[in-house]
Amino acid sequence: MSTKQGRMGWLFASPYLIYAFVFFLIPLVWSLFLSVTDWNLISPTFSFVGMENYMEAFKSPGVQSAFWVTFKFMAVFVPMVVASSIIVALIVQGLPRFKGLFLIGFFLPYLASGVVSSLIVKGLLSYNSPVNEFLRNSLGLDINWLGSPFSALFVVAVIIAWKFTGYYALILTSGFESIGTEIYEAAMIDGVTPWQRFWKITFPLLYPALFTVLILSIGVTFGIFTEVYQLTGGGPNFATNTWQMEIFTRAFSNLQAGYASAVAIIASVVTFISIFIIRKLLEMWGKRNGWN
Amino acid sequence: MGGTKKKGLWFRYLIAVVLLLIMIFPYIYMVLNSFADWDQVDKKLFPTEYTLQSYQWLLGGGEAVIPRPWINAFFNSFIVSGASTLLMMVTAIMVAYALAKMPFKGRDTINNFILFQMFFPAIILLIPTFLVIQRIGMYDSYWGMILPKAMSLWAVFMYTNFFKAIPDTFIEAAKLDGASELQIMYKIVMPMSKSITTVIFLFLFMERWTELLWDMLVAKSDNMLTLNVLLSQMFGPYGGYPGPMYAASVLLTLPIIIIFLLFAKKFQEGMQFTLK
Repeated sequence: MSTKQGRMGWLFASPYLIYAFVFFLIPLVWSLFLSVTDWNLISPTFSFVGMENYMEAFKSPGVQSAFWVTFKFMAVFVPMVVASSIIVALIVQGLPRFKGLFLIGFFLPYLASGVVSSLIVKGLLSYNSPVNEFLRNSLGLDINWLGSPFSALFVVAVIIAWKFTGYYALILTSGFESIGTEIYEAAMIDGVTPWQRFWKITFPLLYPALFTVLILSIGVTFGIFTEVYQLTGGGPNFATNTWQMEIFTRAFSNLQAGYASAVAIIASVVTFISIFIIRKLLEMWGKRNGWN
Repeated sequence: MGGTKKKGLWFRYLIAVVLLLIMIFPYIYMVLNSFADWDQVDKKLFPTEYTLQSYQWLLGGGEAVIPRPWINAFFNSFIVSGASTLLMMVTAIMVAYALAKMPFKGRDTINNFILFQMFFPAIILLIPTFLVIQRIGMYDSYWGMILPKAMSLWAVFMYTNFFKAIPDTFIEAAKLDGASELQIMYKIVMPMSKSITTVIFLFLFMERWTELLWDMLVAKSDNMLTLNVLLSQMFGPYGGYPGPMYAASVLLTLPIIIIFLLFAKKFQEGMQFTLK
C-alpha cells in the first residue's frame, strides 16, 4: 500500500520533474556555459573566452544603465503605485454599497496588454494629440514626452502603475477589512484628527497588506520589457534601458548570445540580491515600528 | 446631522465614479478612436465623426498595403493561451495534490526545490530556453509557445496551500469507499476549489494572453503570430494608420475583458480567500 502510494505521488509530481529538468536545469547549465563563449546565436562554431564577456559587461553603458534604470524605475514607480492604490482602496472602502462592483472596475486596467497601453499612450502623447495641444495652447508647454530621459522613464512608470493600481487596491482592501470599525469609533471619541487616524491606526494595521504590495511592485521593476520595447527601445540614450531590454537587444538583435548570457547572469544575481536586501530592510522597518 | 451624512455619502460616490472613469479612460479612448473618422484619430479627446473604416481597413487591407492576418492571429492567440492555460491548470492541480495530500519519499525535497525555483530570477533562462525549443524542432510552432509555459509554479504554490487546508478525513472516507486518487480529485477536491480555481485560471489566462517577449521570439512566420505579437510588429510600420491600430487593440482587449467579467463574481470571492 505505501509503496503504491509512493509511486502515485511521484507520478502526480512527474509533470514538475520533467518541466524542471527541461525548462530549468538544462537552460541554467546552458546559460552558464554560453556566458564564457563568444557564440553569435547562428554560427556552428564558437570559442571560449573565459571571463571576457563579464569584464566587457561591467564596463558597457548598456549594463550600467540597466542597473541604474531599474532603481530609478523603482524610485518613481513604487511610490506612485502604492499611493494610487491606497487612494483607490480608501475611496472604495468608504462606500457602503457596490464596493465589489467598483473594485472590479478598477481592476480592468490589469487586463490590458502592454502593447495596447503603449499604443494608447503613444497616441495620447503624439505631437498633435489633444493632451499636447492643450498644454501648448493653454500653458505654453511643449513637452517631448518620450524624447527626454526623465519624462520617458516617467511615462513608462505611469503606464505600469495604471495597470497595477486596481490589483494592488484589491489586496489593500482585504487589509482594510481586517480593521474593525470599533477602533475608529474609539479614536473618534478620543478626538483624533483624520491625518493622525491614517498614520496611527490605518497605516500600521494595513502594513501586512502593504508589505505584499511593496514586494510585488518592487518585483515588477525588475521585469519591465513590453512598454519600453514598444515606446522607447531603451532610449533616449539608455534612459529606459531595463535588464530585459538589454538582454533582448544583445541576444536577438545584435546576435551576441554568449555576451547576452553573461549579462543575464549578472542581471539575475543583481535582481536576487537587491530583492533580498530590500525585503530585509522592509521587514526591519516594520519591526522597528512594531507593525508586524 | 442625517442630512449632512447623506450628502457626504453622495459626494463619496461621485469621487469614486469620477476616479473610475479616469482609470478606464484609456479604454474609452481606444474604443472611440477605433470608430473615429481618420481625420480625428488622436486629435480629439472625444471624436465627433464616426466610421467603420478602421475595422474594414484592418480586415481587408488598404491600397498598397497587404492585408495582415489579423483574424488568423486572433485564433492563434486563443489556441496558444487556451492550451497553455489549460496545461498550467492541470499540471498545477496534479503536482499540488501530490505535494499536499500524498505522502511520499522525497516530497519535501521537491517542495523546497519548487520554492527555490520560484524565487530564482527567470531572466537567466530566456536565451537557453529559446535554444532548447529550437533544438527540439519547436521553433515557429504552437508547441514552442505553449510548452515552456505549460507550468506555473505560482499556481502550484497557491493550490498546494489550498489543498493542505482540506481536512484529510474527507479523503480518507472516500478512500474507504474505494475511490481512486483521480476520482477523489474530480469528485471531492475540485468541487471544493471552485473559487480559487477561478482566480488562478483568470490570472494565468490574462498573463498568457498579453505575453509578448516569448511569443515574439518563437513565432516567425505570418500564420503563427499571436494577436499581441502582430500588433506589436505593426506598431511602427502602421504608425501612419493609428485608426486600424486602435481597432486591432479592441480586438485584442475585448475577449479578455469579456472573459474576466463573466467570472468576475467568482473571482472576487476567490480573491477574498486568496488574500487571507
